[in-house]
Amino acid sequence: MDCEQLALLYEEYALDVLEGEERAELEAHLARACAQCTPGVEKARWVVAQLAQMAPDAQPPQSLKGKILDAARASGNVTEIAKPKPSRAFFPAWAWAAAAALALLTGYSIRQMGNQNAQLADLRHQMKLATMQSKALQDQLTLGRMITSVMMSPDSKPLKLMPVDKNMPMVHAYLHPHMGVAITADQMPSMPSARTLQLWFVPKTGKPMSVAIFRPNAEGQIAIIAPVNMPVAEIVALAVTEEPAGGSPQPTTNPAWVAQVN
Amino acid sequence: MERILQRDSAALETLYDRYSRPVYSLVLRISQQPGSAEEIVQDVFLQIWQNAKRYEATRGALGPWLFTVARNRALDFLRLKREKQRRREDSADFDLPPSAVVRPDPEGAMDQSRRAEKVRSLMSSLPDLQRRAIELAFFDGMSHSEISAAIGEPLGTVKSWIRGGLLRLRESLEEARS
Repeated sequence: MDCEQLALLYEEYALDVLEGEERAELEAHLARACAQCTPGVEKARWVVAQLAQMAPDAQPPQSLKGKILDAARASGNVTEIAKPKPSRAFFPAWAWAAAAALALLTGYSIRQMGNQNAQLADLRHQMKLATMQSKALQDQLTLGRMITSVMMSPDSKPLKLMPVDKNMPMVHAYLHPHMGVAITADQMPSMPSARTLQLWFVPKTGKPMSVAIFRPNAEGQIAIIAPVNMPVAEIVALAVTEEPAGGSPQPTTNPAWVAQVN
Repeated sequence: MERILQRDSAALETLYDRYSRPVYSLVLRISQQPGSAEEIVQDVFLQIWQNAKRYEATRGALGPWLFTVARNRALDFLRLKREKQRRREDSADFDLPPSAVVRPDPEGAMDQSRRAEKVRSLMSSLPDLQRRAIELAFFDGMSHSEISAAIGEPLGTVKSWIRGGLLRLRESLEEARS
């Protein structure tokens, strides 16, 4: 591809959606500091950044400004008001030379400290991300193990929660009297952030009992486990309803998925 | 930026007053969690305070640079969140904050607000699925293939929607600048 053809891809590259050969070709141009593609991509970054304007307007918490300014001050090197300088006449030449050397040294040290602070901040950010990632993987692994144990247990009762809307995927449940109820599903549609799914046990008598509140992840998957908070023999059915974020004390919509238990 | 380079904390305050709101709005839209959005915005402004020289090296307009840094940070967070695939029962985390209080526009905000209007108007003129595809790329950090799978449209269609939409955005912003 020549630069003219690649120019059509600048914004997609800036948006980070470009893949495969197209990405590789454009990156090859950028790697050799192509005089057309390099400024083109820079401009595209500006264009793509404007998409931020699509975000719904939101006010940051009042306390945030103070936190940021305090943290900045705590990081040191904040400019202070300059003090009046003593008259030159009081200092001999050697003192000026010493002062100049000290100023140079101080300037160098401050610059070094600035660089070190920047590197430290980067390292802290990387460590924070790595820690979060590690914790997320551990949580995921633990959850996966728990769900597998419930699914594999001979004491578990496998159930299929059938969707009322035929276009929706089936939800699987594995009901174990002690280990809990595991719920799994794939290809679930995304949900608005103000809504959630809620699992209910429907008892022989009395009102439905809330078991769990959950949402599909970004890949449309559900994998959760929740305690069984009533005797399994008492449960007639499992039902999933859509509720406002945070769940409801009792279902406010008709069940979207249902499975008969006993 | 000159004053930030000189470690003038009042300059950081000015920068915050001018950009915190659009930056926070963007990060909240991506992360969907007010607590995390606050933390990310704090990181972004402190990064500028600590790495102002890097900005000097790259030049360009400050606002878009801030948006890019903020988006990258928020998408890092989102990717980690996706990996977790865990239960999300903390409903408070998903609540959006109360509606924003209108503050007087800072100096120079008129251009920014006009530009914002231009972007919103263009995006709302796009067909729903085309706009959705661009939003998934920008706010959810999805690739062409991921968007294709998410909205159930062929990869080629998704590519052409995104390309077409972005080129229209480029032209529209160029017109507005000239």
